[in-house]
Amino acid sequence: MKYLLWAVMLFFTLIVQGSISIFDITPNLTAVLACYAGIREREVKGMFFGSFIGIVEDSISGAFLGPNLLSKGLIGYFSSLMYTRFFIWTPLLGAISIFILTLTDGLIVFLSKSLFANIPVSIGAGVLIIIMQSLFNAPLGIFLRPKKEQ
Amino acid sequence: MPKKWLLLLLFIIISLSLMTYQSNRKYFLPLESLSNVLNIFHEIKISLKDSFTSPFKRMLLKEQENKRLKEELSGLLKEQQKWQETFLENKKLRELLALKEKEQRYVTAARVIARTVEQWSNTFILDKGLSDGIAKDMIAVTDKGLVGKISGASNSYSHLLLLSDINFSAAARLQTSRAEGIISGTGFRKCRLKYVPYEEEVRKGDIVITSGLDLLFPPGIPIGFVSEVNKKNIGLFQEIEVIPFADNSKIEFVAIIKKG
Repeated sequence: MKYLLWAVMLFFTLIVQGSISIFDITPNLTAVLACYAGIREREVKGMFFGSFIGIVEDSISGAFLGPNLLSKGLIGYFSSLMYTRFFIWTPLLGAISIFILTLTDGLIVFLSKSLFANIPVSIGAGVLIIIMQSLFNAPLGIFLRPKKEQ
Repeated sequence: MPKKWLLLLLFIIISLSLMTYQSNRKYFLPLESLSNVLNIFHEIKISLKDSFTSPFKRMLLKEQENKRLKEELSGLLKEQQKWQETFLENKKLRELLALKEKEQRYVTAARVIARTVEQWSNTFILDKGLSDGIAKDMIAVTDKGLVGKISGASNSYSHLLLLSDINFSAAARLQTSRAEGIISGTGFRKCRLKYVPYEEEVRKGDIVITSGLDLLFPPGIPIGFVSEVNKKNIGLFQEIEVIPFADNSKIEFVAIIKKG
């Protein structure tokens, strides 16, 4: 049942992500979902949920398999690690961590695409896109509480 | 080393190996068929959105109409306001129809139902596919000019690679000076006109059109206008930035035409 719920959440996230564009920039909502998976399900499960989200995103985007698989898997792992090892969750810290994790996700995808295919956008535009996506996602971090905080 | 870190290391190695393996081979996309399911939901979402928003749009239009009625007593203006949305939609469709009559290569008109989920590929999803006559490498245009080309199609949907995508390129020329070059996307909003010789005089505002020399895009389709010219002191070619006429954020319908 839990897995079905995650699949439904992923499906709706992809539909919303494909429908919104702010200043020609698509928000990176799947990164938020991967972080949420890590925060709720601990490191290893977070990594597996994150990499599943990445596989689906890579497959439907029509590019090669890997960039999102790697980035979402890693942020799924590290989002969990952040609150189990290093910090105690607060709303502000939640927003900052989502900002940093989205930034990391964007950088990994950008670098992977640049290394294994071709640079998807100029570096300046890439940096702008990644920062804007991180800023869009940051407020959502306020609502993503770890289980023990609820 | 703890088991968790070992798993993480293994995961990173597998991901990197997978990308290295695909970099010189065909892409491996295990869940590609899922995009068709997603597209069906995008279509449902669009029709739901239309049915939800149209009463509100009508209410909004009527409110505007009432305001205008107080200010103006013109019955004709009132009618225009009342059906403004329909009028605008009709206008768009009329423009596409005019394009159909003008363009012998016309295949069909399609509606944009979604963008791809990823920021890094500038692609639209269209509500028509192979069954409507659309095929790979066909060209999408609006009344304003070139939008892109079809990069892939399933039975009911197709993917439109936009002019601004880094993988897009087409033979182009400047309308006034007739200087030839290659237009290609930068990945974000603007395009770049490459291989225009240094000695050619290019001005801001010059119009760029397709040249037809690539045997893919028919000649004479407007692409955009020159927004910046950078003549470096060294090298054979100029750096020219082009802003496409068709604004990606405002495209709702496109006409599909056969390749040149």
